[in-house]
Amino acid sequence: MAQYQADIIEQLNAIEVDAHWFRRAFHTFAASFLVYYLIPEDGWIGVVKIIVPTGIVACIAIIDYGRIRGELDHQRFFGLRGYEKGRPASYLYFGIGLLLLLVLFPQQIAIPCILCASFTDPLIGESRYYLGKKRAYALGFVVSMFFFLLTWYRAEWWVMLMVSLLGASGAVIGEAKKLKLIDDDFMIQILPAILLTCVWQALLLTGNNILPAPLIHPI
Amino acid sequence: MNGSTHSQKEAIQNLLLRLELWFAPMLIIVPLAVSLFLVWDWYARGSSLGLSSYDGELLLGLLILCGNLATDIAFIRSIRTLRKKG
Repeated sequence: MAQYQADIIEQLNAIEVDAHWFRRAFHTFAASFLVYYLIPEDGWIGVVKIIVPTGIVACIAIIDYGRIRGELDHQRFFGLRGYEKGRPASYLYFGIGLLLLLVLFPQQIAIPCILCASFTDPLIGESRYYLGKKRAYALGFVVSMFFFLLTWYRAEWWVMLMVSLLGASGAVIGEAKKLKLIDDDFMIQILPAILLTCVWQALLLTGNNILPAPLIHPI
Repeated sequence: MNGSTHSQKEAIQNLLLRLELWFAPMLIIVPLAVSLFLVWDWYARGSSLGLSSYDGELLLGLLILCGNLATDIAFIRSIRTLRKKG
């Protein structure tokens, strides 16, 4: 190996990444998955749209299974918290939640839930240090409401109000309620989605479709 | 000689296993690319043709851009700080 190559490796090995901000950046990165809705749904691409994300999450699950069993060293997984050692990691919960939203829910419901997981979660986590728990959750509620208002801005005013209040409540409860088996990264996405789907379907039975026009149009 | 080759190999292996270094550029570049694409799509298929149905893509694009820039700046700063400490 040439000297300059050894120097480059040494320099790269010297770089330290802060796990705290790495986790935050991973959350906000997840908003990029909204690109999914730009992909057309017709023909074979529609099938690929389901198979590829499912395959990716399945691979993550297999790797994480190996980590939990001890076949893969826990230390190799950067950014994991201590309590994640003996249970599925939060990134797996995040991936499963994201997959369910993309595949099973309409984008009008899935988009604000993904935005909540991407931005509200790190915002609550970060502001908790400065504002305290209660104010951080209040801030998270307001920001989540904004995401639901933004996605449903074409709906009628009473629908916007109801959806944003319900969705934001679901997101904050999902984040605040710490469960042993299910991670908050899953709950913050799925709880508001289930609540909104129930309301949407219930109103649909009365002949009232509250779902506004989609926000993202396939290419 | 053998010792130095072995340590170099170990250094390469450690580097390959450092997932955070492989992910870091992706965490920064992909959201910026997606947000800029959404803004461009709003302009190309919506604004330039006078269609307001694409306005949502602009809003989402700007939201993803601002949200990620805020985190990325703090993330990059944290890398630099730790590097200086070293």
